[in-house]
Amino acid sequence: MNALLLLMGLLVLSYIGSFLVGGRAIRGFGLPSGSEYLLLGFVIGPNVLGLVERSMLDAFEPIADAALGWLAFALGLDYAFLGHRRVRLSSLLVACSIALATGAAIGATEYVVLARFTPLTGTDLLLLAAGIGAACSETTRDAVRWVVERHRARGPVADLLGEIADSDDVVPLVATALLFALAPVEHARVALPGLAWAGLTLALGVLLGLLTSVLLGRESRLHESWGVLLGTSLFAIGLAVRLKLSFLAMMFFMGIALAGSSRHRDEVAVMIRPTERPVLLPALVLAGARISSHATPGLAWVVGTAIGVRLLVKLLVGALVWAGYREARPAGASLGLGLLSTGALAMAVGLSFALRFPGTVGDTILLTVAAVTIFGEFVGPGRLRASLTRAGEISETKAAPSEVGLAAAPSDPEALGP
Amino acid sequence: MSHAAEAPRGLGTRLIQVASLVLVFALLFAATRAVPEIHEGVGTIAAVGFLLLAGTLMSELVETIRVPHLTGYLLAGIIAGPYVLKLIDHQSVANLGRANALALALIALEGGAELKLDIVRRSLRSLLWATLLQSTLVVIGVSAVFFLLRPMIPFLAPLPSMAVLGVALVWGVLSVTRSPSAALGILSQTRATGPVATFTLTFVMTSDVVVVVLVAACLTVVQPMIDPAGSISMREFQALGRELLGSVALGTTLGLVLAAYMRLVNRQLIVVFLALGFGLSEVMRFLHYDALLAFMVAGFVVQNLSRQGEKFIHAIRRTGSVIYVIFFATAGADLDIPLLRALGPVAVALATTRAIITWGTGRLASHLANDPPSVRKWGWSGLISQAGLALGIGASIAQRFPAFGDSFRALVIATVALNEMIGPILFKLALDRSGETSAAPAPARPSMAPPGIVSS
Repeated sequence: MNALLLLMGLLVLSYIGSFLVGGRAIRGFGLPSGSEYLLLGFVIGPNVLGLVERSMLDAFEPIADAALGWLAFALGLDYAFLGHRRVRLSSLLVACSIALATGAAIGATEYVVLARFTPLTGTDLLLLAAGIGAACSETTRDAVRWVVERHRARGPVADLLGEIADSDDVVPLVATALLFALAPVEHARVALPGLAWAGLTLALGVLLGLLTSVLLGRESRLHESWGVLLGTSLFAIGLAVRLKLSFLAMMFFMGIALAGSSRHRDEVAVMIRPTERPVLLPALVLAGARISSHATPGLAWVVGTAIGVRLLVKLLVGALVWAGYREARPAGASLGLGLLSTGALAMAVGLSFALRFPGTVGDTILLTVAAVTIFGEFVGPGRLRASLTRAGEISETKAAPSEVGLAAAPSDPEALGP
Repeated sequence: MSHAAEAPRGLGTRLIQVASLVLVFALLFAATRAVPEIHEGVGTIAAVGFLLLAGTLMSELVETIRVPHLTGYLLAGIIAGPYVLKLIDHQSVANLGRANALALALIALEGGAELKLDIVRRSLRSLLWATLLQSTLVVIGVSAVFFLLRPMIPFLAPLPSMAVLGVALVWGVLSVTRSPSAALGILSQTRATGPVATFTLTFVMTSDVVVVVLVAACLTVVQPMIDPAGSISMREFQALGRELLGSVALGTTLGLVLAAYMRLVNRQLIVVFLALGFGLSEVMRFLHYDALLAFMVAGFVVQNLSRQGEKFIHAIRRTGSVIYVIFFATAGADLDIPLLRALGPVAVALATTRAIITWGTGRLASHLANDPPSVRKWGWSGLISQAGLALGIGASIAQRFPAFGDSFRALVIATVALNEMIGPILFKLALDRSGETSAAPAPARPSMAPPGIVSS
């Protein structure tokens, strides 16, 4: 397959994605995490059919960077917002704590496993273990939205889980910024400690977010709005890539800064939202094509550990939420299994590691997070639905997706909660 | 071209734009100095973002001195490009050049869609006189001056007089090329309506067809003059006929398909445009079809054989507004400033001659066609800009005549650079002076929608 054909294929996917914008994908068609596109990429990639060669994937790296950065920007723009309202501070803290606990537990366990099964040592070992932890720490908001919207769930538990899924993104992204800063930048004329590079990532993101806000904030015109948004976004991604910083973290913080400072946040969010799916699907295919089944020795152990530890932590977290929130009691103690789904962000983090650290570290993180995502896809939405049904927030009579499918406006944020 | 122009901006906004521009330059400067060595392709994303941002800001700032946005885009590219501040390297410029196919496709589609049959019919007399005279007098006049300037042009020294005459004729034909992209860029910014805008648009878009025919004819004639071993061959015309007919046929089909798509689906036009710009352009290149002509015909068909014309133009403008900034800013970054400096005197002489002859011929053609006063006075102004087509012909000459081709091409680049910078300024000035630039205030804040994603 030549580059033009691959580009056309990605455009076709993007086209399909646009028809699945927000609403339909979430309400009935397609899987919440987009795992099917991940598998498609894997099948056409160098490891299975070989329709897409490794060199071509490298040539498409800038496109993957731009796509992932854009998704992170969209996440930042919507971070800690549920529709038009802000997420409660308590939910935000709970969400971050859960993600931190999940990531730390997975990272620590993986460190032991990797030290036992792989020849990696030092920074590489730390990068790999912590990278897996970071990538597998979040719960995708898409899966929760998928269940909530598809089954028209209404109530405090749906609301709480929606808020948690919407607020935990900051943990993997800050972790990514820190981990990227661990590896030295080749040919750099400026020597900074790792923490300073991480700080620079976040600072540049905030600075460019504020710049975007200022430029959009005064007498904005239609063509300039897109010019400014795309310009600042690509500029930020380009700077991060050049400085070997985490462009995901930079773009996420750029989105947060823009959302926090611009009076046009809602308008910008409306502009950006329809682009998410068309950008995500090609990115997932590229991620899938990069997955290598020979990433590292003891791969089964690495993947199994990530899945197992994540399962245990989520069960524990669910039990704690069940015990701590009176409203959550009817949902049952296995509520945490509903938070098992990972999705776009986890895959984006995995792919960004694969692009930044090609070889054992990047490939292993990508494969592990893909496996965790697919596992979560099988377990998460079903368990979440069961929990919400037990909590009385889903009525069996209104659960038919075909009736609900297009009833509400696509990507209607109000459909997420009260 | 019937939209309202935009309201002028306040001093505070301008200061913020200056500060933002300085910040953006400073950030990229710091990044390129902190990590100077990067592997291939890494600088491209930052280059796109930078050119888009800096081009937009620069265009806003030059607006205060009534210079067109397009010049601002070019300036941003020149300053940041590999010949001045070196913030954008050659590799990134080359990578961005691949996006030109998309920009040219959009320009041609929009240009074709702007050609409404009734307007073309009404200005047919002007168009015919202008085409006839511009294609003959400019070729003859510029060729003659080029021949006379031979002592100033080093690469002509070893050539015999007959060969110099052949090269001069090629130069003359090259001088007939215009820049549809520049004309559309200015018209798009100023939202100008009136006889000058209409005449320029119809002339510039149709002149491309005339130019490709002229080039083929000229190369057939001059081949034996420049290369004594060569002979006149009709193969050029065979190929040309195939290219033109094929392009028109493909363009008509594409236009009908696009019209049907807009009527039945009318979604995700940005993806459709991307597929056309990258995919179909490549297919046409493979088939040796003229992509510009095919897309122009497609736009023309959508406008005149369906009811989707206005929607189509609107969709292209929304997508193109971003693409054009990158296109022109990249063109600015690609301007070879040292070469322009080295060939400056000859390039200035040739560009000035072309401008004067174009002006004189324009006045004569308007007089003969009995055009309205504004077209008589300013009709020539939109014909000064040159860009892609001239550079493309220069490159093909370089390939065909290796003995002097590279030097010839360098002179083309230098002259086109001058015309590219001066032409848009002249055209905007003409539209302002002839009162065709719309002065109606812009809406306070247009609702923002993603280009082409939401159906119009």
